[in-house]
This record gives sequence, structure tokens and C-alpha cells, in this order.
Amino acid sequence: MASNSSASDSPDRIKTLRAKIASELPNVDFVLGYGRGFDPLHATPVTVRTEKDLDRLIFDPTCVQNLATSLYGLRGKRLGVVVKGCDSRSIVQLLQERLWERENLVVFGLPCEGVIDLAKLRVTMDIASVKAVRFEGSVRDGKVVLTLPEGERELPSAGLLADKCLRCQHPNPLVSDHLIGPEIEPQGAQDTYADLAALEKLSTQERFDFWKRQMGRCIRCYACRNACPLCVCKHVCLADSREPHWLSAEATLQEKWLFQVMHALHLAGRCTECGECQRSCPMGIPILLLKRMMNRELKELFNYQAGVSLEAVPPLHTFLMEEDRIKDRGLLW
Amino acid sequence: MRIGVMVCHAAREFPDVVFATDHMYACSDPGQGTIEQTIRSLKLDGVVVASCSPRMHEVTFRRAVERAGLNRYMFEMANIREHVAWISLDRKRNTEKATDLVRMAVEKLRHNRPLTAKSFEVQKRVLIIGAGVAGIQAALDCAEGGLDVILVERRQSIGGVMSKLDKTFPTVDCSVCVLGPKMVDVGQHPRITLLALSEVEELSGYVGNFEVKIRKKSAFVDWTKCTGCGACLEKCPSKKVRDSHNEGITTTTAITIPFPQAIPKRAAIDPAVCLHFTKGKCGVCKKVCPADAIDYDMQDEIVTEKVGAVIAATGLDLFDHRKCGEYGGGRYPDVITSLQYERMLSASGPTAGHIKRPSDGTEPKTVVFISCVGSRDRSVDRPYCSNFCCMYTAKQAILTRDHIPDSRAYVFYMDIRATGKGYEEFVRRAQEEYEVQYIRGRVAQIYPTTGEDGNQLMVRGADTLLGTQVEIKADLVVLAVGAESAHGAPALAEKLRISYDAYGFFLESHPKLRPVETNTVGVFLAGACQAPKDIPASVAQASAAAGKVLALLSKDKLESDPQIAQVQTMRCIGCGKCERTCPFGAIRMRELRDGSKRAEVVETVCQGCGICSVTCPVRAIQLAHFTDSQLLAEVNALCRTWDETTES
Amino acid sequence: MPDLGRDYRIIGFLCNWCSYGGADAAGVARFNQPTDLRIIRVPCSGRVDPMFVAKALLSGADGVLVSGCHPRDCHYTEGNLYARRRLELLRRFLPIIGIDEGRFEYVWVSASEGSRWRDMVTKFTDKIHSLGHIPRMAETARTLCALEGMLGASSAQPDMWHADASGRQPRHDALLHMDDYKEVMDGE
Repeated sequence: MASNSSASDSPDRIKTLRAKIASELPNVDFVLGYGRGFDPLHATPVTVRTEKDLDRLIFDPTCVQNLATSLYGLRGKRLGVVVKGCDSRSIVQLLQERLWERENLVVFGLPCEGVIDLAKLRVTMDIASVKAVRFEGSVRDGKVVLTLPEGERELPSAGLLADKCLRCQHPNPLVSDHLIGPEIEPQGAQDTYADLAALEKLSTQERFDFWKRQMGRCIRCYACRNACPLCVCKHVCLADSREPHWLSAEATLQEKWLFQVMHALHLAGRCTECGECQRSCPMGIPILLLKRMMNRELKELFNYQAGVSLEAVPPLHTFLMEEDRIKDRGLLW
Repeated sequence: MRIGVMVCHAAREFPDVVFATDHMYACSDPGQGTIEQTIRSLKLDGVVVASCSPRMHEVTFRRAVERAGLNRYMFEMANIREHVAWISLDRKRNTEKATDLVRMAVEKLRHNRPLTAKSFEVQKRVLIIGAGVAGIQAALDCAEGGLDVILVERRQSIGGVMSKLDKTFPTVDCSVCVLGPKMVDVGQHPRITLLALSEVEELSGYVGNFEVKIRKKSAFVDWTKCTGCGACLEKCPSKKVRDSHNEGITTTTAITIPFPQAIPKRAAIDPAVCLHFTKGKCGVCKKVCPADAIDYDMQDEIVTEKVGAVIAATGLDLFDHRKCGEYGGGRYPDVITSLQYERMLSASGPTAGHIKRPSDGTEPKTVVFISCVGSRDRSVDRPYCSNFCCMYTAKQAILTRDHIPDSRAYVFYMDIRATGKGYEEFVRRAQEEYEVQYIRGRVAQIYPTTGEDGNQLMVRGADTLLGTQVEIKADLVVLAVGAESAHGAPALAEKLRISYDAYGFFLESHPKLRPVETNTVGVFLAGACQAPKDIPASVAQASAAAGKVLALLSKDKLESDPQIAQVQTMRCIGCGKCERTCPFGAIRMRELRDGSKRAEVVETVCQGCGICSVTCPVRAIQLAHFTDSQLLAEVNALCRTWDETTES
Repeated sequence: MPDLGRDYRIIGFLCNWCSYGGADAAGVARFNQPTDLRIIRVPCSGRVDPMFVAKALLSGADGVLVSGCHPRDCHYTEGNLYARRRLELLRRFLPIIGIDEGRFEYVWVSASEGSRWRDMVTKFTDKIHSLGHIPRMAETARTLCALEGMLGASSAQPDMWHADASGRQPRHDALLHMDDYKEVMDGE
């Protein structure tokens, strides 16, 4: 495991995290944190119930999961949870929507420089053959050293950063009871929605065809939904419901497509763009684009961003008698 | 399921449809009879009628269905008249569209469930807004019928426009002599609470249980002490205040009682002109008041009342003729409005019934009346007929000839609309007996004469019957200004949640068959707030509205509409978003034994808008009769047809 | 696109109190209108779930028109104000999935505005006719999906992280399609 130590995963910081969690263990049922997964590139959520579980905790740029996803299913308990800056927005959103009680939650916040997107690594190598990983320097401008059967290989870690990290404005948790490590300056670029702009350059028909190809691959596994920290109603999800009967079990393109549109509509004003839906899609469908489209428009219409304020009123749950940025549609004719 | 379709021939092919027929007039007695018989003989569980708009006859057919033993919600209508037959003459397309609409109705009906109404208690009290003749009549009728009445009038006295009129047509009765006793009755009736100088701030609740907040504006006079003696009026030093009761042809004081017959006969101070408020140095009225009723520190007061029904009777205002440059645009003092003339004619008016030119106080010998000023005129966005101007113009012309026997009266008119009882005869009398000169044509220009008779007005117009230009030297010109909706009517409509038209007149529920009701159950209309009306029509509608209210509130309990939100408790995740977006506060969160929460609908409060249903992330709250499944069934019915037609 | 002598597929969601009445008024006044629109009556524009619109458009509707009471004039006070936000967001969203923004519109028509309703229907129908039929996915999709379903067991869901029998890591299916995505993203 020594090979996993990295700049982010400084021995001091993980020690502090373990100590803080240890101090809170008597007050909580358990703590959700990151542990090493089935290979050096994968982290996995672990539950810390006793002091002897503390050794399993890790934190490094492979800790991609948003642990807030597990929260709603565990309501009724008193929990601790380890979060990165981006994950904390999901927590803020859950609290704002009163889907979790603040007093039953102990948040261990970790300022984060970024995590890696395995999809980017997978393009260049067979990631199953990686025997060990080492991060050197900061994730932003350091390197990642991979031990492969043929020897070590170095890559600039910046090239592997997840897209969301490249535009990250909230590296520091927005809500935390224990802030582990010093706060860091946001290093993400301003989000210009270049991905949406690229798609918008296409003609309407081309865009339709693009999604037709993309959605055609959907296998309706609902991994996207299950990975979403704000899909709190997955146990009674509309996609599975027969009354009301929105989606049939038919494997048609429009059912798949409608589900993704429903998911995006459903998250309008709630999605924090943690990206878990797209990361978990086994078919690699770029579904985060749909949510980003919603978010871009919400920002433009209502100057709203989800998961940054506990007091904010979600834009679709309120209105103004005179909307500043909505033209009266009737007059456009 | 066994569904019957009435009217459409092509409906048999739809799923579950076992019977289809047509009938000449399905809403007629035999038509309804056929529906009932068919339901019984074929043991139908649901009926689709393809005919007119459900806004027209849904209630009728629901009753028929219910008489045959079905639940009244096991019924759907396909609107193949207003939405098909009446908008296009293309038979092929119309047939296709009608078939689609029936198919949609059938598919929706397959998802319908029987719904049962619940009953709730009602407040046997009524709020009447506006105390002109309509409001007064409605108030007296309701009170006589045993209801408690809250009568709100924004002016200082009740009476409205009628209290300003001299005589009424076609009987030439004294207006205030007819109205006065009714006003007194209102003031004295034990069941009527009169709130003058008051306005409705807010209306909440629903039929049977409205809650209204009323702002009682400060009169700066304690009306429980004021006796209406008028001592303050005599001593008030600001005497140059526009007298609105007399339409500004004279002035009044800052503290006033608007007219001798005012009810309530109490003084009120207009703080905008009173020296105490504007300059901070007068206090004469307070000194002279024998009852010590003056209170400069008085504040507006908000009172809350619970009522079961509301009658809007806010009346009308008059068109501002200054918009019409051809009549001088308000520059000539001797061009006056009909209502100003009315005040002049009135024996209790500022000129004691003598007709005098505002410019020099002399008696006019030639009076020209111009009809349709701000009526039937698209150039000033008043395309409608104001209904009563023809008649009052005839009356005023007659009275002119009566008051000044050696005078001449001319009337410029477009058409004479004298459709009421005795009206045509009345106009004839004006023309024949009183020799009023009627000239069919519009006036193009009015301008002051010059030279020796330089104090007259030249009225230049066309006589379209003779095909000539006419010029008349007039001493006085009276403009028959048209009616407008009362100032602030749209704002009130929004408070009452009723619709209004482009001109601010309130919209009735149906122009023919529900002229008194609005689309908000429990809110009714009386008088000119709905459209320009003369006195008998206003009084008739007021009594009609009162009759509706009395019928509505004659029951101790009302049935609530079962088309309301319902929570699927098993699916509710208790997030409370519905509770936050409900405009009526009809949803509350109920705690279960395990501490988790579920939404619960307060049935009598829910109005059935369905906002919650769209807010709910799991759509666990569904609007009965308009559930997701029902609406999806309609969408699917259409999309499936299209699939079939485009594939073929 | 030429008019093929058949109605286009247009669905209208109209609130019962204002716009449905306006449509009735247009009929009562015998205003000649295109026949394409099929109206679904709802109590309030606030009842119109944006998902109904998405569902209709993805199921082959060429256009969807929602109409409610004018702001401040809602029978339920606030329904159209919530609707305005929801529907505006949807309107802005639809183009990204390849549905022309002209295919969905929301308007305000009161019960007295029969002629305004006629204008709205006529203009909207004209707009849809000029856009032509919405791109189809139904028939082809069904065949495609059936095929995919058959293939699904063997190739559509590859084991992501484990080598196949040959010992070579199969390139994940998702990546093949990522090329499509990347192409678009880097396409300019």
C-alpha cells in the first residue's frame, strides 16, 4: 500500500482525519470514508464503526466517489461522512431540501485539489494491468507514476483530472464540522460550458442524431440514478412506477431517452454536477451534459446554483410576479 | 371496462368500447334519456359524449350519468363542436380530428376512477363589494333572505352613479328619490354591516369559507361620534377642493359630507387637501365639532371577516373625453360631460337645477348633445357600445327643453339604440313632442366662434342622412361619455381570482347561461362591473346574484369538489416540496409513528390546481381526475394514432 | 416541407379557466383555424408537467403548445407563475437534445380572447408546418433496440475490467462510443 501514498494523501492529513473520526466515533453510528478498492486505481466507500477500522481510511486523487450518495438511504441514523469540496455541495443540497437533519450528521471536510478520471487513463492503457500508483507533487502540476508489468510509467497528473475538477470553484467543503487540512485556493477555470457550445454548433438534426446514437446504447440499468446523491426517491422512482405509468418496460429508444430527460428535469435546480451519473454509466453516455444544460439555463434565468447555500429557495419552487429574465411568450408572436 | 360513446360513428373500434351511437341533441331531455337507458341496458361503466365544450354541458351530462347509477366522474367529453366543427370546414380533417378527440376521451376514461364529494360547513354571510344601486339591491335582497351582509364601499357614501343622476329614463322619475329610501334601508338594516371608505385588501379561502381582509380607510373623524350636523363643513377654511360628487363643476371643503342624502351621513377629511395635513397648522373642524369626533391621528384599520360568498358590484367609471381632440380635449369650459350636465339639472345640485354655462353663468339657448364619446370608437380603444348613453341623451334633451322652453336641443348620433321597455317611445317623444333635433352623423370639430358672438362654440359635423355638412352655433355642448370599467377593477379581479376582459370588465362564467356567476365558485357579479348596464339591468342582475347567493348558502353544508390532490402515502418521501408550493396552504406534513413524514391534503382547502403534482419529485401526489396516468393516456392515445398513420 | 394534406401532430395543454375558454370562444365566434391541434384540458397551466411535453415530443408529436391564464390572472393565483418558470426552462433545454425550440411554446390566452387564440394556433401551426415533421425514432428505434437486445448478452455489456479469454483487455464498448462524443467535443 506504500505505493499509494501521494502528495494529497500526506501522512499528516490522513492521521488528522483518523484522529478526528476517532474522536467522533462515540457520537455516531458509523462514519463513511474512503478505503482502497480492488486495485490501486480504485477507491471504495468504507464504514468506520470502531477504532480498528481507522486503518482502512485513505484519501488521494483516486477517491472519486461522492459519499453523499449513500446518505439518504441511511436516514434515521447518526452518521459521519468524509467529503471533498464538490461532495459537500450535495450535502448542502440535501440539508437545504430538508432530506437530512444537520444534527444527525458529522461532516469531515477535506479540501481537494482534484481527482482523476479513469476514463481518461483508460484511453492510453489497459488499466487492469496497473500494479501500483504513486502521485508526486500536487495533482494540478505534479505527476502520477504507474507501475505496469513492463515497468514504471509517468504521466502528468493534470491530464487525468476529472473535467469537473478543471472547472472546480469549490475545492473547500462548504459545510463541515471538522476541516482536515488547510483550505486551498480555487484553481479551476471559469466554466464556459464549452462542451455545450460544441454540441450547439451542430444542427438540430445532428444533435438529435447524436443523442439518438447515445441513448440507443442505454441499457436502462439505472446506474446513473443510483449513483446520484439527490435521487433520494430511487426506491419509488417514477421510472419503475406503474401508477403513474410514465415509462413502460419496452426497450425502445424513446423510453430510454425520456428517462434521461426526466432525470435532468428532476434535478433541475438541484444538480450540483458531481458527475456521478456519467461516471457510473457503464455505456459511457455523456448524460451529465443534459444536467449541465439545465444548470447553465438556471444560472442565466434565475442566477441560481444548487448546493451552495442552505437558505436558498430552489428556483422552481418559487416565482416572481414579474420575471426579470423571462420574456412574455405571448408577445413574441 | 364497458364504455359507451354517444354521437361518434367511428368509435366502435376503440378498446373497451361496446357501444356507439349518435343523437341529434344529446343535451336535450330525450338525449339524456337515451344516455341513461343505454347505460342501464348495456351495463356500461363509463360514457363518452362527443359534442360541445365540457365548459358548457359537462355538469348536465354528469347528472344524467349519475341518474343512471354511474359515478359522475366516469364520464368524459370530446369537444367536437367548438374545437372542431366550428373552426374548420374541411370535412376530412375534421373527421380525423374528431376521431382523435374521441379516442383521447376514451383512453382517459379508461383511467378514470369514481370520485365522491365530501361535504363541509358554510358561512351564512356574504361580502358585497361596491354599494351603487347594484350593490345596494343585492345587499337588501341577501339581508331580507336571512344572510348577514358585509357591504364594502370605497367612497364615503353609498349610492354610486345613480345618486348623482337627476332623473331616470324613461319615466323621468327623480333618481335620488327612488334610490334614497333604499340607501336608508341599507343604513338601518340589522343584517347589513356597512363599511364605507373601505376597500378589499385580500380574499382567501374558497366557496362557503372565504376570509376577507378589508382596509377601513381613516376618515380622521370618529364616525361613532359624528352626527353629520355639518358644522365643520361650514367653518372649514379650504373651500377650493374639487367636488367629485358634483363632477367638479363646483368646489367643496376639505372636510365633507358629499351630499345631503349620504349614507352614512358622516364627515370625512381628505388629507391630501386639508390644511392640517398639508400645512400642519389648521384645526378649525376639531374646535367647532360639537361631538368631539375629529381625530387627526386616526389610522387605517384592517378588519377580517368570514363570508360564504362574494358579490362584486363595483360599477363603472366614465370615459375621459380629454382624449378626444375634436371635442376640444377639455379646453373649452362650455363642453361638459353628460354627468356634469346631470348634476346641473339636479335640483339638489350646485346650480339648484338651473342650467348655466360654466364659462359665464348664463342660460344656454342652444345645447348640442354628442353621442358615442368613447363608445363604439376604435381610435380610442373603446369599440364597445356603452349601452345607456342613447337613452340618457334623450332624457337630457327633453329636460333641456323642459327647463328652458325657448331653447333648442340637437343630438348628433350614430345609431339610436333604444331597446328597453318603453325606450323607443321615449326617444320618439324627445323627437316629436319636445322637438329635439336628431342629426345622424359624427362631429368633426368644435371650435370657439369669434366676432360679436365670440362666446359661442361652433359644432361642425356631418349629416349623413342629408349628405351635407352641418354647422351649429351652440351655447353648451354635452358629451355623452361612454362607460369604462371602474378604476382599479383588474386589481380587484386578481384579488378575487376572477377573469376580466381587455377593458377591465369582469368576465361572467357563460355569456348566455351563467351571466351572474364567475369562474370562481362563490363569487358573483352584479351591475356594470360586468359590462355597461342601465339601472334596471343592474338591479335585475343584483337580485339575480343575490338569488344565487341565497340558493348557494341555503344549505348548511356544501359538497367539496373531489377533483383534488391525493397523496399515495406509500410513495411519498415526505420531502415537503408540495407543502411549500401550494398556494392555498392545503397540504400539511403528517408525522408517522416512526418519525418520518408524509404529505396530507386538507380536502376542503385544496382547489385542485395540480401545482403540487408537478412539484412532487415522485409524483406521489396526484390530482384526482387529472392524474399523470389520465393525461398520459390522452398523450399516448394521440401518439399511437400517429404512429399508425405515419407507418401506413 | 410541403403540406401533405394531413394534419401535423400538435398537442395543446390548455388550462380550463382561461385558455380552454378562449379556444371555445374562438369556436363560438367561428374563427377559421388550422385543424392540427388536439387539445388536452387541464385545470391549470401549473398542472402541466414539463415531462408531458417531453413525452409528447419524444413520442412523435411535431409540436406542443401550452396555454394558460395571463400572469396575475390565474384562477389559482400562482399556477401559471410556477408554470412560466418550469416551461421556460424546458423551452431552453429542448434544443440541446435536438428538438427545435420552435416545436414547443407556451402562451397566455384568457377566456375572452378568442381572436388571440386563433392567432396563436394559426401562428404556431404555421411554425410547425415550416419545421416539418419531428425527426422520427420510433420504427427504426424499435428495430435497432431489438437488435441491440439480442447482441446485448454477448457484447453490449462487456466486463469492464477483466481480460477476455484471449488475455487481451477488450476495449470497453463505452469508449468506442466515446469517440463519437469526443468527435463532437473536439469537432470544431
